[in-house]
Amino acid sequence: MKKDLEEIQKIIGKLELNSKTQIKDLLNYFLQTHLNRNKVDNFIGDYPTFIEPVHLEDNVRIGDDVLLGPNVYIGKDSEIKDYVEISNSIIFDNVFIGKNNKLGNCIIGKNTSLVCENINVNNCVIVGNIKSKEDLYKIIYKFE
Amino acid sequence: MSDNNKREVNRIKELESINLSREEIRDFVIETKKEVEKDNDLLAKQLNDELKKRGIRSIDIVGAIGAGKTALLEKIAERLSKKYRILVICGDITTRVDADRIEKHDVKTIQINTGRECALNAYHIYQVLKNQDLDNYDLIFIENVGNLICPSDFKLGTDMRMTVVSITEGEWVVEKHPMLFKMSDVAVINKIDLLERLGTNIDKMENDAKNFNPHIKVIKTSAKTNENVDLLIKTLEL
Ligand SMILES: Nc1nc2c(ncn2[C@@H]2O[C@H](COP(=O)(O)OP(=O)(O)OP(=O)(O)O)[C@@H](O)[C@H]2O)c(=O)[nH]1
Ligand SMILES: [Mg+2]
Repeated sequence: MKKDLEEIQKIIGKLELNSKTQIKDLLNYFLQTHLNRNKVDNFIGDYPTFIEPVHLEDNVRIGDDVLLGPNVYIGKDSEIKDYVEISNSIIFDNVFIGKNNKLGNCIIGKNTSLVCENINVNNCVIVGNIKSKEDLYKIIYKFE
Repeated sequence: MSDNNKREVNRIKELESINLSREEIRDFVIETKKEVEKDNDLLAKQLNDELKKRGIRSIDIVGAIGAGKTALLEKIAERLSKKYRILVICGDITTRVDADRIEKHDVKTIQINTGRECALNAYHIYQVLKNQDLDNYDLIFIENVGNLICPSDFKLGTDMRMTVVSITEGEWVVEKHPMLFKMSDVAVINKIDLLERLGTNIDKMENDAKNFNPHIKVIKTSAKTNENVDLLIKTLEL
């Protein structure tokens, strides 16, 4: 799993070099191969709703009324705020996801901060520090 | 609790009761609740249409904690896993205990851990089914979180609902929970192997269910001795 994650992180670091289908395939391959259906109980915060499979690394903080899954990986030290909904996505280490955001089929790069709230995004890669919806549209990389 | 703390708690209680009795907030609370239920019912209807279109049968199972929902599902899976390609969606606050038990009988399972929510809703089911290749299944079961209250607020988009209680809960359990029986097609009274020991008035339970819902079919089973398990399967038209 570590090796595949590093590979994905490397690829999303230099996106223009890659075809869109490749990223989609990588995401799906990772989610289908590396997630198991073990119980998830290593998070900090309120009990979210999990639809398996979901994999959380250590020290993930979760707000109120969060819905995770199916097919979600979240890296260590990440923080998910209230009412967030995530499915079919890889969230790397140390990511911040602001309130009431909804992510489907997304890859969120290491150290990314999605401070903006109430957004609904699908099929994209997001890397960086996003303070507003305008910021997001500038940097978002859609692969479908 | 210190006097200061007590005063603070009383102040908050007072504030809340004032707010809740204010007309516009009451209306808002009621409106929100209605919206949520309407959205859920709409989605449930869409789900059911989609499943029907594909010729997939679907049944959801609700019932008291420990009444035997999983035990009965195990027996059903054991008998039907060769005849149908079955998917079982299991709702529990936490753990995958039930899904693991059922999966032993050659059916595919998906666990939903609802955390602080006391029932599954149609959106959970939608999320699960959206991510499955539905061509792989002929029959879907959903086991809801064990309790007799919350599931009555949320339809899940199945063809049929089965409510399970057991005689260990006492003969008043049906009488005390009218809502679920009103919206169920089949009521199961389980653990009848214990009837002699407990002396529960099972006729009263059956009558109460029929009084709430004249169309309900009542089956008395034992998942332990297999009594009437085949009758239950027949009643579910499987
Ligand atoms: N004697 C007897 N025991 C039963 C019967 N059915 C289930 N049990 C036992 O009752 C306990 C609870 O059964 P489950 O099948 O886990 O009940 P459940 O309704 O799925 O429970 P939750 O999902 O936790 O709400 C287990 O120890 C079962 O072995 C029965 O017909 N007779
Ligand atoms: Mg169970």
